[in-house]
Amino acid sequence: MRILLVEDDPDLSRQLKRALGDAGYAVDHAPDGEEAAFLGETEPYDAIILDLGLPKIDGAAVLEGWRRAQLSTPVLILTARGAWSEKVASFDAGADDYLTKPFHTEELLARLRALLRRSAGHAAPNLSCGSLRLDPRAARASVGGEPLRLTSLEYRLLHYLIMHQDRVISRTELVEHLYDQDFDRDSNTIEVFIGRLRKKIGAERVETIRGLGYRLIAVEDETSNEAREA
Amino acid sequence: MRLAWPLPTFPARSGAIPSDSASPVRAPGLENGVETGLAALRAPSLVRRLVILAAAWSLAVLAVAGVALSLFFSQAVMARFDDDLDVTVNGLVASVPAEKGVIAAPPITDARFGRAYSGSYWEIATADQSGLGQVVRSRSLWDRALDVPPRELVALASKPGEIVHYNSVGPMEKPLRVAAMQARLDGVPAPVIIMAAADRSPVNRDVRNFDTTTALALVLLGAGLIAAVVVQVQVGLQPLFALQRAVTAIRTGRSERIDGQYPSELAPLAAELNALMAHTQEVVERQRTHVGNLAHALKTPLSVMLTEASQQGGPLAEVVTRQVQTMGQHVDHHLRRARAAARTQGQGESTPVCPVVEDLSRTLEKIFRGKLAEVEWTCPEDLRFRGERQDLLEIAGNVMENACQWCAGRVRVTAAPDVNPGGPPQFMLTVEDDGPGLPPDMRSEVLRRGARLDERTPGSGLGLAIVDELARAYGGSIALGASGLGGLEAVIRLPRAET
Repeated sequence: MRILLVEDDPDLSRQLKRALGDAGYAVDHAPDGEEAAFLGETEPYDAIILDLGLPKIDGAAVLEGWRRAQLSTPVLILTARGAWSEKVASFDAGADDYLTKPFHTEELLARLRALLRRSAGHAAPNLSCGSLRLDPRAARASVGGEPLRLTSLEYRLLHYLIMHQDRVISRTELVEHLYDQDFDRDSNTIEVFIGRLRKKIGAERVETIRGLGYRLIAVEDETSNEAREA
Repeated sequence: MRLAWPLPTFPARSGAIPSDSASPVRAPGLENGVETGLAALRAPSLVRRLVILAAAWSLAVLAVAGVALSLFFSQAVMARFDDDLDVTVNGLVASVPAEKGVIAAPPITDARFGRAYSGSYWEIATADQSGLGQVVRSRSLWDRALDVPPRELVALASKPGEIVHYNSVGPMEKPLRVAAMQARLDGVPAPVIIMAAADRSPVNRDVRNFDTTTALALVLLGAGLIAAVVVQVQVGLQPLFALQRAVTAIRTGRSERIDGQYPSELAPLAAELNALMAHTQEVVERQRTHVGNLAHALKTPLSVMLTEASQQGGPLAEVVTRQVQTMGQHVDHHLRRARAAARTQGQGESTPVCPVVEDLSRTLEKIFRGKLAEVEWTCPEDLRFRGERQDLLEIAGNVMENACQWCAGRVRVTAAPDVNPGGPPQFMLTVEDDGPGLPPDMRSEVLRRGARLDERTPGSGLGLAIVDELARAYGGSIALGASGLGGLEAVIRLPRAET
């Protein structure tokens, strides 16, 4: 397993490199954002440990760059900033886990193991529908390269719709596939979640076929919009 | 950057961290009230001051005017009364016959002089050193005489041919006005005093009536003036009261700055207040950033020490590990304090609740992926928290994280407006899980700062205590109970912003 460690503090870097090495990982070290961005995009790492407060390029910007480039390597954020606003922002930017300093080395290693286990479990290729992309490995979706902020259920709903984008899916079918057996759900709640999903990915992408159900529509224009704006 | 800027002083609450326990505790507002009372005595209200000044001046002017009017009126009436008497005196002088030194009654036809005690009288008498001599008088005088006081006799003697007026008392004790003149008659050796008199009481009555009417009118005028002054002051000072309300609104967090048009005298004050508030906010913000930077800068060295200690092992490493953890708690504690300092500014921020709950749900679903399929949340779209987004994130985030940590697979979050009769508007954030829950005697324990019920996962035990601290800072609360899902239920009450 090859790990990229992005940390600017030399002492902490040395310690973590040793700890990770002792745990059997091959470790590359990047002391600043620029090098991290380059290494992350060019080398095939299994996981990345990323400090947010970095010289040259900020850690959050580095992460966003990776995700925009469709890099789905699991990323563990290591930061001194532990406020929830920062956690939310990091996860929305594409982080897979978050650890606040000061931390125990054992905990970092445990989190890293969990991360690697999780990412190995999913091996499905990326799915797409027009400019809408879904990465089942990282449980992430994006529209025209912009990451979507989806709750777990919205993600599952989108996943199901994108997997069966060639046909109309009834509400009953969605209820059966989205919820566990234990839950006795009213199929009306599906409408609520479809509504929320439409708000996030664009209403025109989910078509309602009266009496039958829903279908995902391939729309490309988001990308061209982005291009125009850029 | 200078290092000399003053550190903020935070109101401390007793807690596990000893550095704060010695700080003073604010006494309840009793002495505050007394102070306000004394201040009011020393500095009377602006309204009262203006009204008293205006009223005193108006009343003085009105009183002087009343007295002057009364004097002027009575003098005018008296002068006219005297003129009538003078006509009679002159008539008598011209018509009195005197034959061989004997004064005869003049041929006056006016009936009033003939009727007894009619109120109109005349008398003609010779005057010598001892007093009045030979006397002729009108029938109306009947058995009485008009006497001349000695002082008037002297005055008459000194000004022969001129009419002198004086007051006297006549028949039936009526007040009389007398006009007298000393003259010489042909054939009468001694000077003769010719007097005409009339009952003064009708005039007195007129003057009294005038005085009463005038006084009444002036009192009414005075009352009207004072009322007008009160209204004028109230209306005139209205912008000042509006400014006061605006400042209160800022302090209580209902608005962020003083808006609206103020008169040219107050506009600079409003602008200065806005500038002052912006400045204070900036200072607090800067200090918050400084404390934040310091705290965050300390965390990496702490990590280094912690990691080094865990790699080295041994008794020294144990001490270092323990101390580093305590230092970490201090750092976190003061970070929160710095944030609280900015909050006491009471800036009128409001945060929609829904996006915060959704953001946190999404994040926690990722953190607890594999264990928790979904955070079930419901929240009315228009619900708003009266405070900063960051604080709501911190409050809800810690409670929800705690629920996710302990749950067996289900976490339910419900936000709803709360009825709080008599109090400020609130909303309720209920977080439930289906975990093992917490026995009632442990519930208050877990809210105490520094208590760690979960020693196995570092950094998690403080969560609910932080929530308690933050919620209190907003005048809210957190209560722990048993959930219908089987685990712990946390009910947080926080101020709601009215839309």
